[in-house]
Amino acid sequence: MSRRAKESGATIIRYRGVVKRYGAFEALSGVDLDVHAGEVVCLIGPSGSGKSTLLRCTNALETIDGGAIEFEGARLPRDERALREVRRRMGMVFQSFELFPHLTALHNVAEGPRTVLQARRAEAENRARAMLAKVGLSDKATSYPAALSGGQQQRVAIARALAMEPDVMLFDEPTSALDPETIGEVLSVMKALADEGMTMVVVTHEMTFARRVGDWVAVFDAGRIVEQGPPRQIFDAPTTERTRDFLSHLGWHGETL
Amino acid sequence: MNFDWSVVGAHRHALAAATGTTVLLTVATMAIAVPCGIVVASVRLYAWAPLRAMATAYVELFRNLPLILLVYWAFYVLPIATDVGLSPFATGLAALALNVTAYNAETFRAGIGSIRRGQLEAAMALGMSRTQAVRRIVLPQAVRRILPVLASTWVSLFKDTSLVSVIAVPELAYVAMQIRAQTFRVLEMLTAMAAIYWLLGYPQAKLVDWIQRRYAVTE
Repeated sequence: MSRRAKESGATIIRYRGVVKRYGAFEALSGVDLDVHAGEVVCLIGPSGSGKSTLLRCTNALETIDGGAIEFEGARLPRDERALREVRRRMGMVFQSFELFPHLTALHNVAEGPRTVLQARRAEAENRARAMLAKVGLSDKATSYPAALSGGQQQRVAIARALAMEPDVMLFDEPTSALDPETIGEVLSVMKALADEGMTMVVVTHEMTFARRVGDWVAVFDAGRIVEQGPPRQIFDAPTTERTRDFLSHLGWHGETL
Repeated sequence: MNFDWSVVGAHRHALAAATGTTVLLTVATMAIAVPCGIVVASVRLYAWAPLRAMATAYVELFRNLPLILLVYWAFYVLPIATDVGLSPFATGLAALALNVTAYNAETFRAGIGSIRRGQLEAAMALGMSRTQAVRRIVLPQAVRRILPVLASTWVSLFKDTSLVSVIAVPELAYVAMQIRAQTFRVLEMLTAMAAIYWLLGYPQAKLVDWIQRRYAVTE
């Protein structure tokens, strides 16, 4: 395995032998992976290979049936209150945005600080304004989600997650539901976040993003990681047949841009 | 046939007071049945299984009994069961609230069920408890979505309050029927009653339509 650029960073998330079943179907069959501080770890692989499931297990939206997930050295708690604290420290961005349609962009972002951190209204709204500025949407504060483009909605969703000042950001196919012309604006917000040193776990089909921004790439197939390594290895010199197959199905023949 | 419309004018104070009682009965019933409906719906959706079964039993019992039977039942059974002599108004209110709560519970349950699971997950991913997520994110959307249904329940209720006339609650139907019995002016009193119900009911329906347009959530 090749050298890992940010290995010096402490391990933030450690997956060990993670198993997840839905009835008779095994969605994850023993996944081992480390995420270090400041790293961007991209999870790639065909649909249904378990990458989104792993992400959803990370903040316990799904519970695991075997193995362990550690966050900052401690296993994910079972206790509801402790779990909420862990979730607060992991921002999550969904494929379908899941903005709150009855709230304006500003109130979407301020909702977490208000309800969870019990910030005063003015304080929460100031923070929300700062986060909207960060994703380039200061002028959309009073817009409702329905009035925003997909790319704008996803940027609001990123701002909403950032407003909780998370230690890790989890992205579940953040650009899969977007029109091609708005994918770029979301990816550049994510790139800026990575450049600031945010620890990120990104489930994605954007191979160019994984190649350029990722520090570490894990290739999933049928509930397992078939190969993991720095992007150079995965994209330029994949060691397993399964990785080569997957990349060629996507039409990846080296970087196109 | 002769009409003598002066009978309506002569009894205008009694009719006005009775109309007030009808409106009060409607408002009081909804004031009870909306929060209770939310509670029953939440129990059916989220609570511990035995409680859930009780809530389901409640809904299925009271939704499927004729309201008039419920009114009689409240009138004869409640005083014996509770050993408290309730006024006809309170008795009628209890019967109406039991019935409308069951309907509202189903309405809220459908409304909550129509909100995507992802909304609850997005709220919980921020660190909200399930209760916070339901209260702050799911319910406000559900309420907006079911406003038209609550509105028609409201308008039905406004008219159904007339059923409590059978236990002598002095609302519009009872009072109008009393005047009819004293004066033998049947058509005049029925017409006056119809006019009052319609004139009050129609603007209510329009008002609720407006509220719905104003607060509708587009996705």
